[in-house]
Amino acid sequence: MTLEIQNVTKIFPGPRRGFFDRGEGFTALENVSLSVQKGASFGLVGESGSGKTTLTRCILGLETLSAGSILFDGADIHKLTPLQMRRLRSRLQIVFQDPYASLDPRMTIHDIVAEPLVIHGDLVRLDARQRSERVLELLLQVGLTSAHLFRYPHEFSGGQRQRIGIARALAVRPEFLILDEPTSALDVSVQADVLNLLHRLQKELGLTYLFISHDLGVIRYICDDVAVIYRGRLIEQGPVANIFDNPQSDYTRMLLDAMPDPDPDRSPFRKAAAR
Amino acid sequence: MALLDIKNLNLAMTSYEGETHILHGIDLTIERGEIWGMVGETGSGKSLTGLSVSRLIPSPPGRYLAGSIEFRGKDLLRVTDKEMRVLRGRHIGMIFQDPTTNLNPAFRIGTQLVDVALHAGRADPSVLGLAAGASRGDLRRAAQRVAVEMLEKVGISKAATRINDYPHQFSGGMRQRVLIAMAMIGKPDLLIADEPTTALDVSVQAQILRLIHDLVEERNIGVLLITHNLGVVAQICSHVAVMYRGRILEAGPVGDVLKRPGHSYTRALLNAVPTAYTKRGELKGLNGLMPETAA
Repeated sequence: MTLEIQNVTKIFPGPRRGFFDRGEGFTALENVSLSVQKGASFGLVGESGSGKTTLTRCILGLETLSAGSILFDGADIHKLTPLQMRRLRSRLQIVFQDPYASLDPRMTIHDIVAEPLVIHGDLVRLDARQRSERVLELLLQVGLTSAHLFRYPHEFSGGQRQRIGIARALAVRPEFLILDEPTSALDVSVQADVLNLLHRLQKELGLTYLFISHDLGVIRYICDDVAVIYRGRLIEQGPVANIFDNPQSDYTRMLLDAMPDPDPDRSPFRKAAAR
Repeated sequence: MALLDIKNLNLAMTSYEGETHILHGIDLTIERGEIWGMVGETGSGKSLTGLSVSRLIPSPPGRYLAGSIEFRGKDLLRVTDKEMRVLRGRHIGMIFQDPTTNLNPAFRIGTQLVDVALHAGRADPSVLGLAAGASRGDLRRAAQRVAVEMLEKVGISKAATRINDYPHQFSGGMRQRVLIAMAMIGKPDLLIADEPTTALDVSVQAQILRLIHDLVEERNIGVLLITHNLGVVAQICSHVAVMYRGRILEAGPVGDVLKRPGHSYTRALLNAVPTAYTKRGELKGLNGLMPETAA
């Protein structure tokens, strides 16, 4: 099982000009190709507006492509029937960036985590009791307890909410997880816990990750391969160690230099101050 | 005399569940030319300390149990609201975390900047380069000129035309620059920056940090930089205070605290940041680590 992205281009239509005419479109992705191997963690780094999120939306089939194709396990995602697409989504899940916005405030944690099991009921085939058991199993897996089952999202901290988001994504036993900046809304200390949880889950469940982030430290920590995206184009890609230790493009070098190092002696501002 | 001298600050907040003691005796002294970093997790009280200095905590629910915040020898907790309004913006500048919610979407950038400039100018016309007793027309013209100058200074090109844009026409980094420009118009002596780069990309973050650093060099102001990013602290701060549950656990020059942390909590925070040398699975979170230190 692999994800194969071939020469994907996505152009958003420009503003209307008169009745029939349209202005020039905005090219969000230009000729992007990459492949993610089974069991690997693939990192995608880029600034805001570089097209990271557009790419994930294309992979999930939420956007149409202007050119190119996305193959999941050999099947072209954008040529599937709606039913086949729904089947596929049970194997391909996503954890969203903002744990404050991605959980319905009026649903209990139990209902939130059980919802994918209901939606994919024709595949999962669990009755209500079995669903509840599965939900509890998932909560334990991500480090929550049965005491949390019937609470509401507002009762949880950011890190706990992100765990709930991960449990929901894992509910239908997917093989592939897209993580769209899963830790950027969290404190460093909580971030470390969530990263370790993701690492543990990958080992236990044999998951494949597409990990999107603008934090190079996080990418380096969790990923095997990395691609750098800038204004819709892939600047470079390769194994994490290569890209980080020996960046080929100026843009990647600039990103690496901009990464604040917690060692005060490496600060670019501190050269003047004698220390 | 220190620029800012916080002594034994104790703050309690009231909620439906009763009064909670939030800050337990904060002591902090900031001199001109120093950039103090204040690090800690969510809920450690670092933002409330910052807000206390600009006295933006409404009371109730807030209540100061003890302590003083002396700004150039004057206790901010005891000045009148009217005096405080003059200090705020004119002598104490503030930048907040989210540049999107801190600009009014219905007004042009220029209008908002000129408002701030006029406010500072009314209190002290010399800020706008005018003599005392300048006419209102002069003030307004000067305020307009200063607004454009400040916008140029924080690195926004074509400031004279961009000033007529609305906030949504600016990117996140540019909005944060506008907020910095706004905070610097009154030529404050003390700048309080509450997570100024948390919502920004690393490359933009580097630019904003450079901007703050250059302002300190140029104007010799004092800065209180509130953040949870130890990388940012290591980059630009001269001193750092580590906060945990309303207490300062450790404070001192950045080199000493980050290189030779004296407190296990500081060490744990440093270990939670993934660096180039951290192996997968070696990162340590702080879950369950802290109860013994928490009093």
